Amino acid sequence: MEQIQKYLYGAVLVSLLCFSPLQNFAVAGDGPDEVEIDSLAQLYEPVYFDHAMHEEVTDSNCAVCHHHTLGTQIEDENCMRCHAESGATDEIACQECHSSNRFEAEDLARIDADKTLYHRDKVGLKAAYHIRCMNCHEEMGAANGCQDCHSRTDAGNKFFHAGNYAPPESDKPAGGGH
Amino acid sequence: MKTLIANGKIPLATHYNDDRSAKWSVKDKLLLGLSLSEYLAQAFRNPLNWFFAVIFSFGGYVTITRFIFGLGYVTHSSYDYPWGLFLGFGLFVMVPLSASGFMLGTAVEVFGRDDFKPIERLALLNGLLGYLFAVIFLQVDLGQPWRLIYPMFVSLGPAAVLFLVAWHVATYLTVQVAELVPAFAEMMGMPKLKTFIKSMILGLTIAGIILSTLHQGALGALFTYAPYKVHPLWMSAPFQWFHYFCSSVFAGLSMLIVVSTICKKTMAWRCDDNFLTSLDRLTIGLAKGATLALITYLVIKIIAIAHDGDWGYLASGWGQWYMLEMIAGVILPMILFTISIRNNLPGLARFAALIAVLGIALNRLNTALFTFNWKLYQEIPHWRELVITITVYCLFIATYRFVLYRLPILYTWKKDEEAAS
Amino acid sequence: MKAMNRRKFLKGSLLGGAAASVISKRKNADASSSFGGYPDAMGVLVDLTRCIGCRSCEAACNKEQGLPAPAQSFDDLSVLDHERRTSEGAYTVVNRYEIPGKDHPLFRKIQCNHCNEPACLTSCFVNAYTKTPEGAVIYDATVCVGCRTCMIACPFYVPAYSYSSVLNPVVQKCIFCYDTRLKFGRPPACVEACPREVLTFGKRKDLIKIGNQRIQNHPDLYEDHIYGEKEVGGTSWMYLSSAPFDQVGFDTDLGTQPILSYVKEFLTVVPMVLTIWPALFAGFHLLATRKDKQKKEEKSEI
Ligand code: SF4
Ligand code: SF4
Ligand code: SF4
Repeated sequence: MEQIQKYLYGAVLVSLLCFSPLQNFAVAGDGPDEVEIDSLAQLYEPVYFDHAMHEEVTDSNCAVCHHHTLGTQIEDENCMRCHAESGATDEIACQECHSSNRFEAEDLARIDADKTLYHRDKVGLKAAYHIRCMNCHEEMGAANGCQDCHSRTDAGNKFFHAGNYAPPESDKPAGGGH
Repeated sequence: MKTLIANGKIPLATHYNDDRSAKWSVKDKLLLGLSLSEYLAQAFRNPLNWFFAVIFSFGGYVTITRFIFGLGYVTHSSYDYPWGLFLGFGLFVMVPLSASGFMLGTAVEVFGRDDFKPIERLALLNGLLGYLFAVIFLQVDLGQPWRLIYPMFVSLGPAAVLFLVAWHVATYLTVQVAELVPAFAEMMGMPKLKTFIKSMILGLTIAGIILSTLHQGALGALFTYAPYKVHPLWMSAPFQWFHYFCSSVFAGLSMLIVVSTICKKTMAWRCDDNFLTSLDRLTIGLAKGATLALITYLVIKIIAIAHDGDWGYLASGWGQWYMLEMIAGVILPMILFTISIRNNLPGLARFAALIAVLGIALNRLNTALFTFNWKLYQEIPHWRELVITITVYCLFIATYRFVLYRLPILYTWKKDEEAAS
Repeated sequence: MKAMNRRKFLKGSLLGGAAASVISKRKNADASSSFGGYPDAMGVLVDLTRCIGCRSCEAACNKEQGLPAPAQSFDDLSVLDHERRTSEGAYTVVNRYEIPGKDHPLFRKIQCNHCNEPACLTSCFVNAYTKTPEGAVIYDATVCVGCRTCMIACPFYVPAYSYSSVLNPVVQKCIFCYDTRLKFGRPPACVEACPREVLTFGKRKDLIKIGNQRIQNHPDLYEDHIYGEKEVGGTSWMYLSSAPFDQVGFDTDLGTQPILSYVKEFLTVVPMVLTIWPALFAGFHLLATRKDKQKKEEKSEI
């Protein structure tokens, strides 16, 4: 998956520095204005992803997030080998390709069964979001803490022993033992 | 006791009392033929007992807290140094110093060196008690001491070195008890028991040799589980077991010299002439054995460094510490022993033995504690750990003395006819 | 197979040394099958280049394993200021490493590496450890005596001990979520919790391919080494890093030999001593005493 990441880094820079509208097949405004990402909402509240704003930020270079699926030109040489001409695909939503139950037995078995599958190392949906979003946020100097994007639920606080579930103040050093 | 003897008391060494009118009872034998008040009086006069009283009352309390509040209360609960003083000292130092039993057993029973007979029993006792207390130290250290027999009967891990140690120490303890039964049988007047044991003494002795070779070596082999944690100078996978076995030979012999010296100095009343007169000769004899083992040990230590290519480490700080251990703990006693043998100086041999004993203790502590985790930080044991270690060791000394006072170890039990004549 | 045979041989020899009579068949069979790398063993590939040190994995492990509440919240990142190790309260911890010449630190999650030939297992004299075919190294607290040799033996300083417990102190370490997840083919809790898939769960042999592929595709990003592929005989949990491994807290001096191979020198001596010594010393005895007898006879002749 690193090749995609690297490509995306490049794509962000390219789109910011030498923007060329001809590279884009999809047009700003075609996408949804807002996407509710709740597939993983358990410990955190759903994320309301301002798609329109991000289109603007990326100067409508959909490839920054959607790879080749919208028919955008690929820059990464690893990807180019196959996808230089592959054009737009039917499925463009993240979860169509990035599995939301990445390491469950059925998912592993499916990958295992397909001996010719090239993308064996494709990250799951949660990682796809976090790697894409956070790497770019870091690059752009945008807010990047967990709760900058999604506030934690009560279950999340319990999980992290934080908020109402925070341990009492103590001067014990963290971790313990040596 | 000295005072009593000056007043005409004869230490108990027969079944019959002084005027041969009656047999000593078991109680008499336990009280050394004294009346209870006499016994207590002599005990109070002995400053060592006062020292023990202080140690046991405070150390005993601390030891009890280990079983009430757990290991975490008396140690630093270190995950990186799972073995502290209890094993570092109690197991790894006590066991080589107790190797005397099998060596003297071998000399007397296998090689027929009857000239070592006067000190054979002391050697056996030194071995037995050393092992017994090593097990007691182990019991203090084990997280769940009540599961001590698990490796024997409940869940077996036969491919582990410690499995071998456990079995061998257990079997060897039994062997040593059997080897000392004759002394007990003499005192309690059970001749049949003695003859029975005597009939298997050769088998027992050979079993003792096998068990000792293997478990002394196994203690060294235990560290081959941590080849990256013990400093390379103290750790040589192919040679480790042999280093430990070989050093246990001179450790055991030197400890025997030290113990016999202490006996001679502090409880001469309990030793018979046979023991006292032959001791100087025996000391030189033991020194000869120890010197041979020291030379072998030195050579294989050097071979190990050459084999592993560890010369470079000698220049480091650890290397200097290593040289100190080797020079002060091995080469120095070796030279002193040699001089003492040449010029027949048992006094010097005794001094050399003391150094050798300290040297081997340093070696074991170095492997188990000081150079262990040499890439990490240094662990300083909790003071309670130290107190418990001292307490158990004092208990060892007290038990040692208790047995020496009573069983015919340092003296020969007089046959009834001899006593009568 | 070779390794397994060697193991059986060694074990047999030690048995002879102890008491061949009291061996329970069941345990014996378990032990012999527990060695060697299992072909379908699962593993986890930890990619340090992705880790952001969020400690979600620590929180997940705490919950899954029912560990005591932490002294500080899991979202409190100040704990990263000190290097920590696994402990009785934490089967996994994340540490931060500042890399000279780089403006970003790297984070490393540590836990039991689930070795192919675990040192903890081979050193245990009550056979408390088992390497399962799924790849997990699990531990049976009901037989543990508490000698802590496994802690001495583990080259990664993983097992911890609950010293504070008086009546039931036990070894505590990551068990690959065996009871609750791995056994059922599910990924460990920490893997599931990680937001950035730092932890890739899969068959060990596939993970090695994946690791190599990542290195191949991004030679400038990754160190050309999968830590754990070969270290001490190979581990189920393996690591990729963008900084030299010794700069992120790994012991790079560990060889490729499993710890057992260092012990085997001694283990092969055991049967030799057992068979040769009795004959040797009985022989010595005969020789020595025959001289005595001869002497006595000579004396009596004179
Ligand atoms: S990492 Fe340590 S505890 Fe885990 S399997 Fe390996 S030796 Fe055992
Ligand atoms: S595999 Fe399970 S036990 Fe091990 S660190 Fe992850 S959550 Fe904890
Ligand atoms: S959950 Fe993942 S990203 Fe967060 S600290 Fe653990 S390994 Fe790193």
